[in-house]
Amino acid sequence: MAEGVDFEDIVARYYAPLYQFAFSLARDEPDACDLTQQTFCIWAAKGHQLRDASKVKTWLFTTLHREFLGSRRRQTRFPHVELEGATDELPVISPASVNRLDVTQLTGALAQLDEIYRAPVALFYLQDCSYNEIAEILDVPLGTVKSRLTRGLGRLHQLLSDKPNL
Amino acid sequence: MNRDEAKIILQLYRPNTADVDDLQIAEALALAKGDPELARWLEEHSARQNMLREKFRQIEIPAGLKEQIISEQAARTKTVRRRETTVAALAAAAIVIALIFSAQFWLSQHRNDSNMFSNYQNQMVNFATSPYGMSFVTNDLRQIQNYLAQNHGATDYTLPASLERTAATGCAIKYWSGMRVSMICFRTGKSLPPNQQGDLWLFVVDRAFVKDAPDDASPQFAKVNQFITATWTQGGKLYLLATEGDEQAIRKFL
Repeated sequence: MAEGVDFEDIVARYYAPLYQFAFSLARDEPDACDLTQQTFCIWAAKGHQLRDASKVKTWLFTTLHREFLGSRRRQTRFPHVELEGATDELPVISPASVNRLDVTQLTGALAQLDEIYRAPVALFYLQDCSYNEIAEILDVPLGTVKSRLTRGLGRLHQLLSDKPNL
Repeated sequence: MNRDEAKIILQLYRPNTADVDDLQIAEALALAKGDPELARWLEEHSARQNMLREKFRQIEIPAGLKEQIISEQAARTKTVRRRETTVAALAAAAIVIALIFSAQFWLSQHRNDSNMFSNYQNQMVNFATSPYGMSFVTNDLRQIQNYLAQNHGATDYTLPASLERTAATGCAIKYWSGMRVSMICFRTGKSLPPNQQGDLWLFVVDRAFVKDAPDDASPQFAKVNQFITATWTQGGKLYLLATEGDEQAIRKFL
């Protein structure tokens, strides 16, 4: 384990954001719990290989994301749906409308995003991850992160603005 | 950069984060400061972004998740340690058992065969049949005796009269159980296979070093594989004569 890093401290610090990220990806509480648990299990087994303690957060989120992708590959019930072309400008959705949203609606809209947009958007809103961190976690170039975020946010806002009660 | 371009860039902007460090965003933000319409758009965008971030963070964490993760890991660690301990103990036990069996085998071999006549007999025949080099090559029995004397082999031997008349080919000193054994090679007149320097071998060693060896001065015959051996004791020396064939083949040299 990264030098001077205690397992329980790591859990205490990251279990909540990791769970939220897992939930935003899986949109299912048991699956999100499993993903979070599995991430810490992998940390316990392989965390010692991480030499730089400042990379713990990135390591955990990367691991969780990989686990999620792995579990999705094992399940064939989720078909891959391509998103339509990029949206240059966000659809207009007022802050007041956003305020009326509940978490279920929000995560529901997030779940409708294509998988390649869902993870960057979740990291963007949930964790305040920098673009570089998102790129590192998802193992994609910075330009790709920005492009996926632009498309993902556009689609998310569009889905939210389509909600009948907003 | 114009207003529309700035809006596209600022779509990814989150207030109060490190996003301001991004050069493009910084430029777009600077533009917004001097553009009232863009500033209004930015204000609304920022409020929306803050709201969305806040909403996302309202995803409820199941109660007891942290404790569950820690306790399950503790249980897993305990199981792994127990498994590792068991495996280590089994491995250690297997090594100890293997050592005990090896030691017993070695001791039994050593106790049973070392210095025993049967072992001596087998090893001398094996030596005669395997490729070897003679230390001293000569037909002269006196020179052979001198060579053996110089090299601390047994020399006070007495050859049977028939053997005295047989053509010698040379000699060597062989070590058996730490003892020097004098080997004298003879040729019976048969054609020899390659690498074989004699076809009749006489081994002489102090009788006291070989347990259970015959004490009798009259030869005792025994078959060892395709070889026939004649063994006798005389003057404190144990003689072992070996050649290929049967008792009749060896008797004519005694």
